[in-house]
Amino acid sequence: MTAVADAPAAHQTGRRILATMRVHAANPWTIIFTPWIVLFTILALNLLIWLSIVLAAGDNVDDDAFVANGGIAYLFVYMIVVAAQAMNQTFSFVVGMGTTRRDYFLGTAAIFVALSLQFGVGIAILAGIERATGGWGAGGQFFAPAFLADLPLWEIAVIYTMILLLMFFLGSAVAVVYLRWGPPALVMFFAALGLSLAGTAVLLSLNGAWPTVGRFFTQHSVLELSLYTLPVTVACAIVAWLLMRRSTPKG
Amino acid sequence: MTAVIEVADLSRHYGKVRAVENVSFSVEEGAICGLLGRNGAGKTTLMRLVTGQEFATTGDIRVFGENPVENADVLGRTCFVRESQVYPDNFRGKHVLRAASHLFPNWDAEYAERLVEDFRTPLNRPIKKLSRGQRSSIGVIVGLAARAELTLLDEPYAGLDAVARQLFYDHLLADYSANPRTIILSTHLIDEAARLLSQVLVIDAGELLIDSDADVLRGSAVTIVGGHAKVEAFAEGRDVLGWDSVGGISSVTLTDLSDADRAEAVKAGLDVAPVSLQQLIVSRTRGTNYSQEARS
Repeated sequence: MTAVADAPAAHQTGRRILATMRVHAANPWTIIFTPWIVLFTILALNLLIWLSIVLAAGDNVDDDAFVANGGIAYLFVYMIVVAAQAMNQTFSFVVGMGTTRRDYFLGTAAIFVALSLQFGVGIAILAGIERATGGWGAGGQFFAPAFLADLPLWEIAVIYTMILLLMFFLGSAVAVVYLRWGPPALVMFFAALGLSLAGTAVLLSLNGAWPTVGRFFTQHSVLELSLYTLPVTVACAIVAWLLMRRSTPKG
Repeated sequence: MTAVIEVADLSRHYGKVRAVENVSFSVEEGAICGLLGRNGAGKTTLMRLVTGQEFATTGDIRVFGENPVENADVLGRTCFVRESQVYPDNFRGKHVLRAASHLFPNWDAEYAERLVEDFRTPLNRPIKKLSRGQRSSIGVIVGLAARAELTLLDEPYAGLDAVARQLFYDHLLADYSANPRTIILSTHLIDEAARLLSQVLVIDAGELLIDSDADVLRGSAVTIVGGHAKVEAFAEGRDVLGWDSVGGISSVTLTDLSDADRAEAVKAGLDVAPVSLQQLIVSRTRGTNYSQEARS
């Protein structure tokens, strides 16, 4: 790496952003391999269950018996945790080793975007295989269940990528609250989040606005709905950045 | 000579705790500066402030002439290694060195490999499972092989055995001669590190007590030993740092003794002995009441 010693500052910044990404990927098990392994394990479990039902019920199984499946939702929750954990563990190391918070944030955001794309596209490809094989030979819908069943694969890739992006940046906002103020702040954060969600529900009920909410979800396509998460994702990213600017590494 | 670090009226308070209080100093290019003081004196906070990891409450910090906070240019020329460095849970030694090779522009991979052999650092074991000394050796390797223009080492060899510490001093001096840089070294093993230092900063309870050229400081104090009455008479009216009495014999540590003063002491039949840096700093930082109590 000595060859770039005299590179201008812009190159240095690029190098540190890349270095941050490499720190995240230094041990790829947590962020890449484990989620896929768990996903395939859940798929295998589902296949066995479908098989046992088919064996027991014979021809009496409805055509659409195996289209409602939430196995993939695990990935979303897992990614919130992964994002929060990854930032909590690498921030003190990378910034402690003399990287600016800005370069660390950009590198971390880049790896979260790359991971979202990787899982989004990967799942869409698997959904394609699922369709080509008649639902793994069992009429099952694991990767594109229920309301995703009839969508083109590129839409499925976009939808998953958008949801995962939201999860990653939600996780990073949570992580920075922890980095900045420690465990008590996290408890207060979740308490405030729960209260505001419940409060919103009460307000909607008081104003009889639930049908409007329902219409919003039925009148827009899943693709559109997934794109509507972007402003929330960006807001999470901005909050994470603003809090990180004044955070200090541990140790 | 140009100043690499310039600190003016710097304070860092955490609520009511004054971790660093109104500190001003500068460190010249090429200096090996010892940052000394007791546990909790504010050494680590000061280093964190200089590297932009901590935010100043008041005051001004210039590193390479600029504010270090979020300054990629300044931080790119700096390497800060500390005993308390936090590593990601799943990291092994090799991951740290790989990350360091990506983060530090002047990283010398060959030199790092040689250091790994010398220190016998296990690179394939999870950091969490390493002993304190082994973990320290990883920090030392990063600090040396990063070849950063400004290198800050905070208790870099805590837990290292005597052989490894000697290795560290030898490597530091040899590499410093081959690749001159500015080094700030905080340590509790003052006498071991003393011969390396060109400048000494002593901080106590957040305040800067001593900022001195190391040689000047070493020559600044002497211990006068002799019969209690004679020592008492000689010390009268002088700047007393420490006082010890055993039986009828007393020894007193004095500063600011001129050559004439020393001659006078010798003439009075008293022994004049040099004071080690460590003794000097211990007497300066053990609390002002201590010497009074020992005396009475």
